[in-house]
Amino acid sequence: MEKMKYEKPGMTKINAGMPSKFGMPVKQKIVAEIDGITVSSLIEEYGSPLFVISETTMRNTYAEAKRAFDTRYPKVQFAWSYKTNYLDAVCSIYHDEGSWAEVVSGFEFEKALANGVDGSRILFNGPDKSKADLIMAIENNACIHIDHFDELYLLIETTREIGLKARVAIRVNLDAGIYPIWDRFGFNYENGDAWNAINRIMLAESLDLIGLHTHIGTYIMVQSAYAIAASKLANLYMAIHRKFDYWLKYIDLGGGFASKNTLKGAYMPGSETCPSFDDYAEAISNALISSEIPHENLPVLFLETGRALIDDAGYLLTTVLANKRLNSGRRSMIIDAGVNLLFTSFWYNLNVYPTRELGHAEESTIYGPLCMNIDVIRDAIVFPQVKTGEQLVIERVGAYNITQSMQFITYRPNVVLIDERGKTHIIRKKESLETFKHVELNPKRS
Amino acid sequence: MKITDEIRISDNGFVFNSKTGDSFNINPTGLELTKLIALDSDFDDIKEIFLEKYDLDDLTFENDFYEFCALLKHNQITVQEDPLDFK
Repeated sequence: MEKMKYEKPGMTKINAGMPSKFGMPVKQKIVAEIDGITVSSLIEEYGSPLFVISETTMRNTYAEAKRAFDTRYPKVQFAWSYKTNYLDAVCSIYHDEGSWAEVVSGFEFEKALANGVDGSRILFNGPDKSKADLIMAIENNACIHIDHFDELYLLIETTREIGLKARVAIRVNLDAGIYPIWDRFGFNYENGDAWNAINRIMLAESLDLIGLHTHIGTYIMVQSAYAIAASKLANLYMAIHRKFDYWLKYIDLGGGFASKNTLKGAYMPGSETCPSFDDYAEAISNALISSEIPHENLPVLFLETGRALIDDAGYLLTTVLANKRLNSGRRSMIIDAGVNLLFTSFWYNLNVYPTRELGHAEESTIYGPLCMNIDVIRDAIVFPQVKTGEQLVIERVGAYNITQSMQFITYRPNVVLIDERGKTHIIRKKESLETFKHVELNPKRS
Repeated sequence: MKITDEIRISDNGFVFNSKTGDSFNINPTGLELTKLIALDSDFDDIKEIFLEKYDLDDLTFENDFYEFCALLKHNQITVQEDPLDFK
């Protein structure tokens, strides 16, 4: 006689008066494949855990963002935010789509040059630019976004020393109606610092002021904040024209567009609450077009969005190491990917999905493999019972997780790109002991 | 390990604890286990019944059995008088 299918014995406490907040039954989503390639075959070939990046999703998302702005504003230029994900293969795809590079360090600048980006198409942001970095930027004709007065004076001194002119913009911080105000970067608009900096730059013969830049924050869920920021930069843009009879070339609204991830503590999922590219584009374009700026003198609009472009294209494939019932009765499981790979798990409730239909679901905690108490990927998620070895998929991890991942306790995994033809390529190799032997020195064993 | 007197279990897996006021839903295999525990069946007997009836290996059963027993105990459906009694 054929035996019956077994389901793990389980029980669920009934909480009267506490139905699903959406009034709908929880339907477990299954992610069995990425761009037509099964998760099991990817793990079999490249190991677990494994970062996977979808070129198709990258290009589709970029096209969506570009269309949203191109249809509303005459001159738009994206600049890929290197810190969001600076794997060469990733950067090359955005450059192929037409993106410039937005970098925030000498290292990222060198990476952009090595990726074939013309120096004049690099926007150099950030508070840390050494003299050597500035010389590299000046010699490559990059757009240097000045962050503070010390940098401004160092730049004047450097240009005098090397006898070359620098193309510059200033970073402006401003009150866009959202809090906290990021006032640690750039010159303040409201207290006149930005205007003072502009006047100083206009007096410097070796500096060529060509733009204004702001970056109001990250994961901005209110598109109207961008409208306020754009209006204030437009005011500065016009003030410069009135005083110096000079038109700047661009206004750079930075990045900060939210991805569809859900912030911890949010009542509704990010996919329901975050503005779309169209929402952001409408707010920014309207603010610029309806400003005092004459239509024929509208500046090029630069956008440095990173997170919203790449987050959806990144996946982390992982495997269940163990199940455990905690003292509190709560079910928990341990997976082979920890917070050292998933920096964004500190502020997002990352989506974790099984790769096949599974049985009874209950509220669970998902721990990473690190021997550290803070290694919690999800502290509360309704998840089906899984066995050791079950493969899972964590979605929307393309932004910041790879660049901010930390080698800790174990090796960092392979990163694989699925190209538009469905072919897989390792774009960053898994670490091994050799990785560390290569950079470590031991004076006791020389 | 025994099911406490305050517990009532319906045939479709609804469990009510009149002492705490809590109620639970138990899935079919959980209900089957609970009923066998209520009959004071031995672990080895329960295992034999399950291995014969379901497509299941003994280690998986043992792992799941003890986890389910811990859940019953945590929810005050069973009491374990002797801390060394894992049945």
